Amino acid sequence: MTITYETVIGLEVHAQINTKSKVFCECSTEFGAEPNANTCHICTAQPGALPILNKAAVEAVVRTGLALNFTINSVCMFSRKQYFYPDISKNYQITQFEPPLCSKGRLDIISDGKTKNINITRIHLEEDAGKLVHDIGACKLDYSLVDLNRAGIGLMEIVSEPEMNSPEEAYQYLSELKNALEYLGTCECSMEEGRLRCDANVSIRPAGQKEFGTRVEIKNMNSLSGVREAITYEVERQKEILNSGGTLVQETRLWDTEERVTKSMRSKESAADYRYFPEPDLAPFNLSQNFIDDIAKTLPELPQAKKLRFITDLGLSDYDAQVLTASKPVSDFYETALSGTGIQADKVAKPVANWVTTELLGKLNAAGLEIQASPVAPENLGKLVGLVVNGTISGKIAKGVFEEMFTSGKCPEVIIKEKGLVQISDEGAIAELCKQAIESMPKAVEQYKAGKTAAIGAIVGAVMKLSKGQANPQAVNKILADLLK
Amino acid sequence: MKDIDILKLTAVELSAKICSGEISNDKVTQTCLNHIKEVEPKIKAYQLVLENGALAQPKVSGEKCSSLAGVPIAIKDNIMIKNHPVTACSKMLENYIAPYNATVIEKLKNAGTLLIGKTNMDELAMGSSTETSAFMRTNNPWDLSLIPGGSSGGSAAAVAAFTVPLALGTDTGGSIRQPAAFCGVVGFKPSYGLVSRFGAVALASSLDQIGTFSRTVKDTAVLFDIIAGADYKDPMCEPLENPSFSQGLDEANFKGLKVGVFKDVDYIKLDPEIKKAYKENIQKIKDSGAEIVELEIPSYQYIPAIYKIIMCAEASANLAKFDGIRYGYRAKNVRNLTEIFEKSRGEALGREVKERILFGTFVLSAKNYHNYFDKAQRARTVLINETKEAFKKCNVLFTPTTTQMPTRSGAELSEYCDVFSTASNLTGASGISVPAGLLGGVPVGMHFSAPRLKDADALKAAAAFEKISGWDSSKLPSALG
Repeated sequence: MTITYETVIGLEVHAQINTKSKVFCECSTEFGAEPNANTCHICTAQPGALPILNKAAVEAVVRTGLALNFTINSVCMFSRKQYFYPDISKNYQITQFEPPLCSKGRLDIISDGKTKNINITRIHLEEDAGKLVHDIGACKLDYSLVDLNRAGIGLMEIVSEPEMNSPEEAYQYLSELKNALEYLGTCECSMEEGRLRCDANVSIRPAGQKEFGTRVEIKNMNSLSGVREAITYEVERQKEILNSGGTLVQETRLWDTEERVTKSMRSKESAADYRYFPEPDLAPFNLSQNFIDDIAKTLPELPQAKKLRFITDLGLSDYDAQVLTASKPVSDFYETALSGTGIQADKVAKPVANWVTTELLGKLNAAGLEIQASPVAPENLGKLVGLVVNGTISGKIAKGVFEEMFTSGKCPEVIIKEKGLVQISDEGAIAELCKQAIESMPKAVEQYKAGKTAAIGAIVGAVMKLSKGQANPQAVNKILADLLK
Repeated sequence: MKDIDILKLTAVELSAKICSGEISNDKVTQTCLNHIKEVEPKIKAYQLVLENGALAQPKVSGEKCSSLAGVPIAIKDNIMIKNHPVTACSKMLENYIAPYNATVIEKLKNAGTLLIGKTNMDELAMGSSTETSAFMRTNNPWDLSLIPGGSSGGSAAAVAAFTVPLALGTDTGGSIRQPAAFCGVVGFKPSYGLVSRFGAVALASSLDQIGTFSRTVKDTAVLFDIIAGADYKDPMCEPLENPSFSQGLDEANFKGLKVGVFKDVDYIKLDPEIKKAYKENIQKIKDSGAEIVELEIPSYQYIPAIYKIIMCAEASANLAKFDGIRYGYRAKNVRNLTEIFEKSRGEALGREVKERILFGTFVLSAKNYHNYFDKAQRARTVLINETKEAFKKCNVLFTPTTTQMPTRSGAELSEYCDVFSTASNLTGASGISVPAGLLGGVPVGMHFSAPRLKDADALKAAAAFEKISGWDSSKLPSALG
C-alpha cells in the first residue's frame, strides 16, 4: 500500500531594498560596478567606523509591511548576528531579532482556481553580505577574492508560515510577492541579479498527520521556475526515501542548476550559534504613528485591487485583467497605452487590452523581449488603437501599421501618412469604387439579388481590394446594399 | 622664557601667549619635542612622535587665533589620525595606516591644536596598567617602578611628565580616570554620547567614550568644549544642552552644593590610606560650604561582574573584524580560510585580548545568554535606576577614583579597583578624577560623578575641589627631578 503524503512548504525571501544608498552607509547600491568600487570605511569594517541607519530603508520595509497587511511594530531595534565569513566584513551581520519591523501579514494566492490565504510570519530589516569570487572567467583560482559592493545593501527578510502545500503554490506565492514588491517599488526583484532570493523549507508528512515531517532547507534557486522545479524534485526525493523505508535528516541542501537536483550542504548538527545580542551602536527608536500613516497614504494600487478595478470599471474579462496585472511593467504599459488613445477609458479599454495581450505580448514573446524593451512605445500603441476606434484606419490596416511600428519604432501617424493609409470614408468616392466592383462581378451580384445575401462578402472584398484596404468597411457595406436594392 | 616655564604653562595660558605673539608656536613645538626626547627613555609614554608633521605646522598668527591654537596634544593610539599608523598597541594593527580622521581629530585640527604624538596603551584598550601593550611598557613618572595605570596610561604619563599640557584617551571602564589618578593629572570621561566615538577603535560600544587629560580642570573644560557635540557619524552622539563647559569655572565653589559620599561598605576593599584621604577630603568639602549626603547604592557590589560580562560580550563582536582578511596582521603559511582566521588572530592578539574574547563569546552563546548577558543587562538597568535615585539626593557623587594605589609592574589589581569610575560607564554618566595629593610620594585621585548630560556640574565640582585640594599642578613628578 502506498502512503499519500502531504507537502508542507515555507518560503524565506530576501529582497534587496530599492534605495540609492546602502542601509548603514552612504555607498551606492548600483549593480555591476567594478569589484569593491561601492565600499567605504563602514562597509569594509575599518576600525573606528560606526553604522548610520538609512531611514529610507526603514520606510521601504514599513511600506511593504503595510501593503501585505502586516502589523508594524512601533519599536525599531537591531541585533548582531555573529559568524566568521569574509563576505560579512565585520564578521557579524546587523539584523533584527525580536521584534522585527513587521509581524503577521498575509498574501492571497490562487490555488486550484480558489483564493488561498498564506500567512507571513515577519519582515525584518538587515544588511546584505558581499560576494566571494572563486574564479575569473573559466579560470578557477586557488584563492578567493572578496567583493564587498553588495555588503551593506538593505535587505528585507520575508518569512512565510509553512502553509503552502505544493510546488505550484510556492510558485504562486513567490510570483504574487514579487509582483507586490514591484508595484510598491521597494525591490527591483531581479532574481538573476540576486536582488530577490528565495530559500524553501520543505517537508512531507502522511496525509492527516498533525506533526510536521523532517524539514529540509533548499538554497540557491535563482529563478521563479527554479523554485518550483527544485521543490518538486525535493518532494519526490523525500517520498522515495520514506517509501523505501529510509529516514530523512534535517539539513540544508543546494539546488544544483546544472544537474537539476538538490545536494546536501550541511546538516543540522553543524548549525552555528549566532550569538545574537542587541546592536549597541544603534539605539532602539520608536516609529511614530504619523510616520506610519504618511507611508500608508502613499501606498500605490496593488495588483489585486488593480485587477478588480479593471474588471468592474473597465469591463475587462477576468482573463485579460489577470494577464494585464500579472506584472507591474505590463499594467504600467497598458495604462499608459489606454490614456494614449485620447478616448474615454471605458470606451477603449477592451480594444487596448486585446492589442496588448494578443498582438504586443505575442510579438514580444516571439522576439524574446521583455515589455520594458518593447520597440512600440505604450503611448504609440494607444494612438494606433485610437485611430482604429475613431475610424481613421481599419483594423486590418492597423495590423500592418503595428508591424511597421514594431520594426521601426515610428509613431503610427507618421507611418499612415508616409504610406497614404488613411481610411476612405467619403461616400462619393466609396460609391464610385462600389460601382466598379458591381460591374466587375456580375455573377455575385446575380446571386445576391437572388437572395443569397452572403454573396455580398465577395463584392465587399473587391471594393476593399480596389481601395487598397483603405475604404471604411461599414460604409462599403451600407453603400453596396443601397446600390444593389 | 625658559623651556621648563613654557612646559609648565597650562593649555589656556600657553594658547594666550601664542596668540599674543609672546611665544611662537614653533618655539612651543620645539620645546615639547626636546622635552619628549629627554624624558621618553624613562617614561615611554609615546608609541609614535609625529615629529615631522609637528615641525611642519604653519605659524599660528594673532588674528585667527582660537583657544588652544598651537597647543600640543598627545593622542591615544586607538584614535585615527588620517595617514598615520593607528596600532591600538596590538600586533594586529602594527602596520595599519588610518584611512580617515576621527571626528575628534577633525575638531582638534580645525581648532589649530598641534597633534604631537600617539601614546602607548593596553592592547586594544584592554587592561588597567598599559602593560598589555604589544610594544612596550610605560612607567609612572612619579615612580618608574610603578604602573601608570591604563588603558590610557601613555596619555596620562605624557601629561604628568609635562611633555604636553593636553591628551586624549578613551574610557570604557575607568581607562582615563584610573591612570589620571595614578599619574597625578585631571582625567575626564564625559557623558556617553557627548563626544563622537567615530574614529576610535571600538572596545565595548555601549561603554566607550573619548575623554581628556590635562593638569587643570579649566584646561579639561576648554578641550571638552572643542571635542564635544553631535556628529551624524556616531548615531549615539547627541546635541549639547550646554554650549560652553569652561565658562564660570573660575568662580566654582561648593557653597550650597549637595555632595553625595559613600558609606563604608565591606565589599569595596578601600586601601586604608585612600580611605583616610577620602575622609579628609570629605571634611574639606564640607568646610567649603557643601552639604554632605551619605549614600549607599547597593548594586555597586555587582559592578565588576556586570562590567566584565557586558564589556567582554560587546568586545568579542567588535573585535571580530580583526580577521586578517581586509587589513591588519595575516598569518603566513595558511592552508584554508579557517586557518587564516585562527592563526592570524592566534598570532596577533595578546593573552588579555584572547581571554576577553573567549569570555564574551561564552556569555553570548545560546546556552549562556540568559544566565550571563541578559542578567548583566538587567542588573545594569537596576544600577542605572538606583543611581538616578541617588542623584535625587545630591548634585554630584564624590568618591575616591580607585580603591588602591598603583602597583609595581607585574602585580594584579583588585577587580574592585575601578568600581567607582566604571559605574559612570555603565550608567552613561560623566566622571572626572582630580589629583588630591601624594600618598607615600605617589599621587592619589578623587572622583566626581554627575548625572548623565550634567557634565557641567561634575566639572564645576572638580574645579571647586582643585582650589581646596592643596595639589600643585605645576610641580614636576619626583622621578623626573
